[in-house]
Amino acid sequence: MTTTRGRLALLAVIILAWFGVFEASLRVAGSSEADPTFRNLFTLDPVIGYRLHPSTSIRYTTSEFSTDISINSAGVRDEEIGPKPPGERRIVVLGDSLVLAVQVPLQHTFCKQLERRLNGRGATHYRVINAGVQGYGPVEDTLFYERVAARLQPDLVVVVVFVANDAIEASDRSFRLTSGGLPVVGARREVVRNIRRVVRASVVLQILSQRWSQLKERFRGGRAARPDRRLLTYATPETDEVSRGLDVSREALARLAGHVTGSGARIAIALMPARFQIDPEEFERLRAVVEPAGYRMSVDGANDRFRAALSPLNLPLVDLLPALRAANRSGDVFFASTVHLTPYGHEVAADALLSFLDQAHLTP
Amino acid sequence: MVFNSIQFVVFFAVVYGAYRILPHRAQNWLLLVSSYVFYAAWDWRFLSLLIASTVVDYTVARYLDVLPDGPRRRRVLWISIGFNLGVLGFFKYFGFFVENFDALTQWFGVDVSVPVLHVVLPIGISFYTFMTMSYVIDVYRREIPATRHPLDFAVFVAFFPHLVAGPILRAPALLPQISSPRRITREQMVEGTWLVTWGLFKKVFVADNLATVANAVFAQGHSPSALEVLIAVYAFAFQIYGDFSGYSDIARGLSKWMGIELSLNFRFPYFVRSPQAFWRHWHISLSTWLRDYLYFPLGGNRGSQLATYRNLMITMILGGLWHGAAWPFVFWGIYQGALLVMYRWVSELPSARRWVGSLERPAWRVVGWTVMFHLTCYGWLLFRARSASQIASMTGALLTNWTHTSLEAPHYAMQLLFYAGPLVAIHAWEAWRDDLDAVRHMPLIPRYMMCVSLAYLFVLFGEFGGSQFIYFQF
Repeated sequence: MTTTRGRLALLAVIILAWFGVFEASLRVAGSSEADPTFRNLFTLDPVIGYRLHPSTSIRYTTSEFSTDISINSAGVRDEEIGPKPPGERRIVVLGDSLVLAVQVPLQHTFCKQLERRLNGRGATHYRVINAGVQGYGPVEDTLFYERVAARLQPDLVVVVVFVANDAIEASDRSFRLTSGGLPVVGARREVVRNIRRVVRASVVLQILSQRWSQLKERFRGGRAARPDRRLLTYATPETDEVSRGLDVSREALARLAGHVTGSGARIAIALMPARFQIDPEEFERLRAVVEPAGYRMSVDGANDRFRAALSPLNLPLVDLLPALRAANRSGDVFFASTVHLTPYGHEVAADALLSFLDQAHLTP
Repeated sequence: MVFNSIQFVVFFAVVYGAYRILPHRAQNWLLLVSSYVFYAAWDWRFLSLLIASTVVDYTVARYLDVLPDGPRRRRVLWISIGFNLGVLGFFKYFGFFVENFDALTQWFGVDVSVPVLHVVLPIGISFYTFMTMSYVIDVYRREIPATRHPLDFAVFVAFFPHLVAGPILRAPALLPQISSPRRITREQMVEGTWLVTWGLFKKVFVADNLATVANAVFAQGHSPSALEVLIAVYAFAFQIYGDFSGYSDIARGLSKWMGIELSLNFRFPYFVRSPQAFWRHWHISLSTWLRDYLYFPLGGNRGSQLATYRNLMITMILGGLWHGAAWPFVFWGIYQGALLVMYRWVSELPSARRWVGSLERPAWRVVGWTVMFHLTCYGWLLFRARSASQIASMTGALLTNWTHTSLEAPHYAMQLLFYAGPLVAIHAWEAWRDDLDAVRHMPLIPRYMMCVSLAYLFVLFGEFGGSQFIYFQF
């Protein structure tokens, strides 16, 4: 094996062999959202883009948690939901991954904890349905309600708005509200489509693809020169993109409120903060990234912005930030390696929501 | 601009491209300018300090070279030592001494309000100060002549691969390489590539991932369990090793690419069986500096047994303080000094000599490594702790809290195994072969297997946040 060609051939064989070993190991360990097992949770939807795959079960494992996730036949992470029995009151909670909460067992999610607290009081039987979907924002919440969640016959719909990225996501996906489907794009080359298909099928290739994107992003001018767009929701001056996202969010939630109230139900909004809003050290790190680009970061900026943007809707609204911030002093409300709530964080969110529903007279 | 950042990759690519086409003197100018740019990228204000240190020590050394031996020469030496220690003392220790003086006077019931200055620590100051001091002392001892070329001396002080975190180089080793034209060999290119890659792996895969485990336990408000403390201390042991030796490897690799050889700073420090051996294998450039410029001048082991113990303790306490102005570093220095004193005392006992032969048996070797590794790890607990009370609570947990185990402990243990395992395995192989380049000397197929697997681990699981190296703060 002394020729250059021979050595290259050997290297290629070894690279492929190790590829197989790492691919198999990662699939067994299942430690990434890029894991095809995790991605099996989702299915394409012609209007929303994607949604949870009905009647699917997986086990999701990372270094911090291992969770069984089951999607029922209606396409939400909950037990089977039949027709509403007489006397039952249903609360449907819409939102993104912070509601779906794949990091904790279903019974530890704030939806189910809220359900237990409500039913613990005796008089009325409540069913709180977790209708969160990874990556959704106000636009998808609205479409998901129209296509799926309305059939769950809610008496109350709670929309959980994740203030850290919902404005930017709404801005990016506003076309879905108007076109009623995916944007019309030019025909992509078949080869690119095939490469993407192959990458999607492999955990190793998906991680490599993420690394490549990160590298490109950093070469494009460095983190200090080009802060993450989502962080600008907290920044002053307000960017056009954030303004547009807030407008789209209001428009989407107004449409959702119209559907909900039209069916005789009520609707409320809960603002969910990001982890760095309750971790001063993490906030300082992000500030150091954003402020050199000419912005001023405010730790509560995104909450203030959403509250102001949604106030014309006159909907009951609760900000979960104060409760989570206060509770973080006695335990971790967010996981260390992901931006999601710990079981304790879900407990705190459930308490805050219960108190809000009582004060707003939404739990007769 | 850390080695593991995109900015450094771009910076080095530009500098290196120019370096390869320039003649020798122009290369030195390029090295000087690029080193100053590299340093100024952190804080341009402290560049003046680096330049002042260079000017003072160059001038003093030149003067010492021509002065005849005598008290005047000694006084000139003290100008340099006073300047260097003064700068170091002000920027590094002023706040610490003021705070403790304040606390002491309050304890005696006297309220002496000493103004506290919040002085920013210039990066790399401990490294370049020790380098220039050793140069001036060597000239004073007439072990080397003072260099006549200010440019060469300025490059010696500021050479960017070692500037902010060592190794602490000696003039006899580095100055001739700067003064003479350099020839870059193929072997140096290959060795440099391996060192840079391996150093990045140690930093990005091992150290920065294990930092999550160590930080999580050391940052806990409540008392952790004994198992958590143990895992966190193991994690920190490999984190600090991966971080610092990774930096040294990258520095050596980059220098090799430029035809410059830097001294070895680490040689399997966790595979030793005595505190003495540990200091011959860990941060070698600092321990030899302390030996040559502090321990020997104090008398070394030439006096009585008690004087030797005293010299060891002074050297290690000051060595601890070199790392930072905080009590945990002082405790760490005391602990390291005590280990050296105890080891010396035990090994000098007549009865100990009978055991020496049997300690070479394989089983006893393993026992020796294990004991020494745990003694070192306890030192890291003292080093990493934020306060004396944290040292007390974590030591207490280690001794008593074995019944309670948190849910996180198994996850931390898995992370520790995953991120430290490859490093330990490779070093065990290298130590067994007694060859720092054992991987490069493997047959082709195992070598490719090893390198490709490390590349996958690096890319798939590396932490690419671009975090700073621990030793930058010292």
